[in-house]
Amino acid sequence: MTIEAINEQLLRAIGVGVALLDSRTLQFGFRNDTFDDWFSSENQPNQLQELFPDLDVGAMQTALTESGRYTSEIRFKKKRRTLIIALDFTSTNDDVLVLVCQNITRIKELESMIDSYSMMVERNTREIKREKEQVEKLLLNIMPRSVYEEYKTFGVVTPQLYNPVSVLMLDFVGFTEMVASQDPSVTVTELNDIYSAFDRIGEQFGCERIKTIGDAYITVAGLPDPTPDHAKAIANTAIRFVRYLTRRNLSHPHQWQCRIGLSSGSVVGSVVGIQKYVYDIFGPAVNLASRLQEFSEPMEISVQDEVANVLKDQFDLENIGARAIRGFGEQDVWRLSDSS
Amino acid sequence: MAERTLYEKYGGFSQVSKIVLSFYDTLLDNDEIGPFFDEVDMSRMVDHQTKFIASLLGGPASYTDKQLKQLHSHLDINDAHFDELEVVLRATLREHSMADEDVEAVVAEFAKRRPLIVG
Repeated sequence: MTIEAINEQLLRAIGVGVALLDSRTLQFGFRNDTFDDWFSSENQPNQLQELFPDLDVGAMQTALTESGRYTSEIRFKKKRRTLIIALDFTSTNDDVLVLVCQNITRIKELESMIDSYSMMVERNTREIKREKEQVEKLLLNIMPRSVYEEYKTFGVVTPQLYNPVSVLMLDFVGFTEMVASQDPSVTVTELNDIYSAFDRIGEQFGCERIKTIGDAYITVAGLPDPTPDHAKAIANTAIRFVRYLTRRNLSHPHQWQCRIGLSSGSVVGSVVGIQKYVYDIFGPAVNLASRLQEFSEPMEISVQDEVANVLKDQFDLENIGARAIRGFGEQDVWRLSDSS
Repeated sequence: MAERTLYEKYGGFSQVSKIVLSFYDTLLDNDEIGPFFDEVDMSRMVDHQTKFIASLLGGPASYTDKQLKQLHSHLDINDAHFDELEVVLRATLREHSMADEDVEAVVAEFAKRRPLIVG
């Protein structure tokens, strides 16, 4: 076998479609087996444009004169499968155009599959992100952000001592009777409105609502970030709570009367529980605020002696005398009023 | 922790993509079901098969029953077509050395959707 014959044999058997064309007439001079396999049709057109009616011959000829090369892509259906073939034209010196065709169907199919897959994954990622934000929002409702960050990073929260902080304990007068005598769902709805308003007021003064137990509402200033004027913040909050309720009572059939106790001291804050965890605070300041609240007449604010001494210059405070406080001995108690 | 899906068990997308492609090839060559895809654009067809296999294996795609019903409502699919697709699916999964019990689990998932597709 001659070298030419071997060459031709190779050219025919190769998995790439090869054809030679007359560069002027665009008539086929040679087509290998692969080429014929892909592009054979009944009438066997012998001219490039007849075989590929979609090919932009003008653009091809411009590119060939300029750079001697032109590439394009054609799609056609073979049975029901879309074949995609990359065409590569190269002009040679002697008026011959070499056309090399590669079957890129698989590459295109894979590209489509990657598109499809990445779209699914991206959608899922967005969903997961949304869910994560929901969970975060829920957790931030039950614990301060810094505590949440610690919980997220380490999976546990180390109990932390906050000293000093000021604690506000609020309790409603006659709540039990109200629940019994009114429609409980109305009462709870109203309680929810009031607590939401309290949350907003507290937020303005940098207070962190710790929890509500039934009709008791506890908020703290100076936690988790220390605040030098925690006593002032808690006093301002307490005054606004009373002011808010007073105004609300003017326009609502249900009258809400509260008692408030304010105290300062240290508390320990921590997440308690494993499955059903809550963030809670413990310490004498919490207990004292609770006791002081009991000394308040409806819509009054009782203040611990220490706190009153800090606030005296800026707030309207009146000493109501010494009281025996369970667990704390005898202490002076003060009444905080709204001076405006 | 959620149970590991077959999708994860068989190597995630890098492996499942091979199942998808061979399923795609088989479908196109199949003269019972292939004609349904005569007029379907290649990228849509690939997209469809990717989601089909992924959702059956518990991967990142899921069609609601309503979507499935709606997507197939304009097609005249009968029980014989559905049976044939089941055969093709089973063969493809076996070809990719999926364990028998897993193949049956996937086919069972597939079979559950018959009332949504046929009709």
